Amino acid sequence: MFDMRSRKKKILLQLILLLMTIPYAVPLVQMVLGSLGGIGLGNYKAVWDTGVVPVFFRNSAIISAGVIVLVYFFSMTAGFAFAKLHIAGKEVFFWLILAALTLPEVILLTPLFVTFQKLHMYNTFFAVILPSAALQLPFAILLTRNYDTGIPDALIEAARIDGASPVKVFWYVILPLARPIASSVTMLTLINAWNAYLLPLLFLQSPKLQTVTLLPQFFQGEFTNDQTKILAAAVLTAVPEIIAYLCMQKSFEKGMSAGALK
Amino acid sequence: MIIIYFSILFTIDLSAYNWDGLSPVREFWGWENYRRLFNDKVFWKCLSNTVVYFVITFVIQNVLGFLFAAILHSDVKFAVVHKCLIFIPTIIAPATMAPVFRLLYSPQGMLQALSDRLHLGITVDWLSNPRTALFVLMSVAIWEFTGMSFILYFAAMSQIDREILEAARIDGAGNLRVVWSMVVPFCRGTTISLGMLGVIGALKTFEIPYLITTGGPNHATEFLGTYIYRQGIRNSHLGYAAALSVTLLVLAVCGAFLTNRLNKEE
Repeated sequence: MFDMRSRKKKILLQLILLLMTIPYAVPLVQMVLGSLGGIGLGNYKAVWDTGVVPVFFRNSAIISAGVIVLVYFFSMTAGFAFAKLHIAGKEVFFWLILAALTLPEVILLTPLFVTFQKLHMYNTFFAVILPSAALQLPFAILLTRNYDTGIPDALIEAARIDGASPVKVFWYVILPLARPIASSVTMLTLINAWNAYLLPLLFLQSPKLQTVTLLPQFFQGEFTNDQTKILAAAVLTAVPEIIAYLCMQKSFEKGMSAGALK
Repeated sequence: MIIIYFSILFTIDLSAYNWDGLSPVREFWGWENYRRLFNDKVFWKCLSNTVVYFVITFVIQNVLGFLFAAILHSDVKFAVVHKCLIFIPTIIAPATMAPVFRLLYSPQGMLQALSDRLHLGITVDWLSNPRTALFVLMSVAIWEFTGMSFILYFAAMSQIDREILEAARIDGAGNLRVVWSMVVPFCRGTTISLGMLGVIGALKTFEIPYLITTGGPNHATEFLGTYIYRQGIRNSHLGYAAALSVTLLVLAVCGAFLTNRLNKEE
């Protein structure tokens, strides 16, 4: 976008970029420095020796996978229906879903709490997976519908003339074409599900079921406010996430842009 | 098809739970809760905090996101490193970073060390000062969400036809001119989408204030989300929390509706 012809100007642009990026690195540096305070690397050993870190990671992975499966399935089907099928009252349903986009999870805590206790689902993964998926669906459906609207009707009609049912059209025509938006939905869902804090905090009571976002809290209890160990736990949580992002960076960017283009 | 309806019903059902859980209490008290709400200073503080928070974070984070996207679409070195550094904050959970920010903005943190080194004579204790705590939270939000604005602008800019920009340059337009009169208008759609998400996001704000300041000191960083949590879960004033929730929901729907209208008019 900026076209710097002279060498001087090129260096200037590079400098501006560097100055703009530095503040983004500061908290990360603080995290690592803080975790090395006191007994240095011993903090990491103390955190690791509690043995809970892998458990919390496993739980986060299970919950994220569950949420992704639900969101993927329902957003793909609903996106297709809203974009291409003729259903009575479609617009009303769509507006209802868009209204749900604005639902903050705090509002739902009390009703969800009551419901889960009645259904004996309190303190199980389902108590986190179901509401997380439901809260993420509106945005996912919005993205998928916008993307599916761009698929030419002629393709679908051709398949219908050849005798394909709506299910077959969905399976053989829509799903392969919607792959870019599917990956962007998956990525967004993964970030949100992995970073969810409030629902696991309230609905998962036993430490065996808790997720990585609750690690700082867990160690606050464990090490009675020893900042350095809490930060060591934060580093241990962040590093795998950063590595995962760096590995998926290319497909991540592609997925995000597919969602952005509409 | 049944499955599609199930997903729709599931979402509707969810909003129905909201009503189910709340309406009996509401009927009992009539409008009493709402009357209290309008006389509640903390409620108005939440609203003004939300407005200030939205305006400032929205402007800064989108200007930064836009500039990053424009610069990284130019001929610069180490673009990947910068891209990663800007986006990593978006991936790490606010819950993980909260202890880090509490340390960073405390007298034991790096900022204090820096100020001491440069003999600025500033005491960094911004989180316990009601006048600065909100700004600290805004800086955290900007840190966290610039990555999102950046990646959306970056995607939008890759759609621009380079030849048109080149043509403008041949006609004598400078860099700033090209960016301001061609790239900015081109990205308007992205800006509006980000605005809509921003309004809803600001109204929903919960994790950052809850985790870093829990709404304090003295409600200086209270938002509707944290106040509902405080009233409903901590103080068990379910009826009052419900009235707050309904107000929040109405505001959020209105916000979404208004930005959507704006979008259509464009």
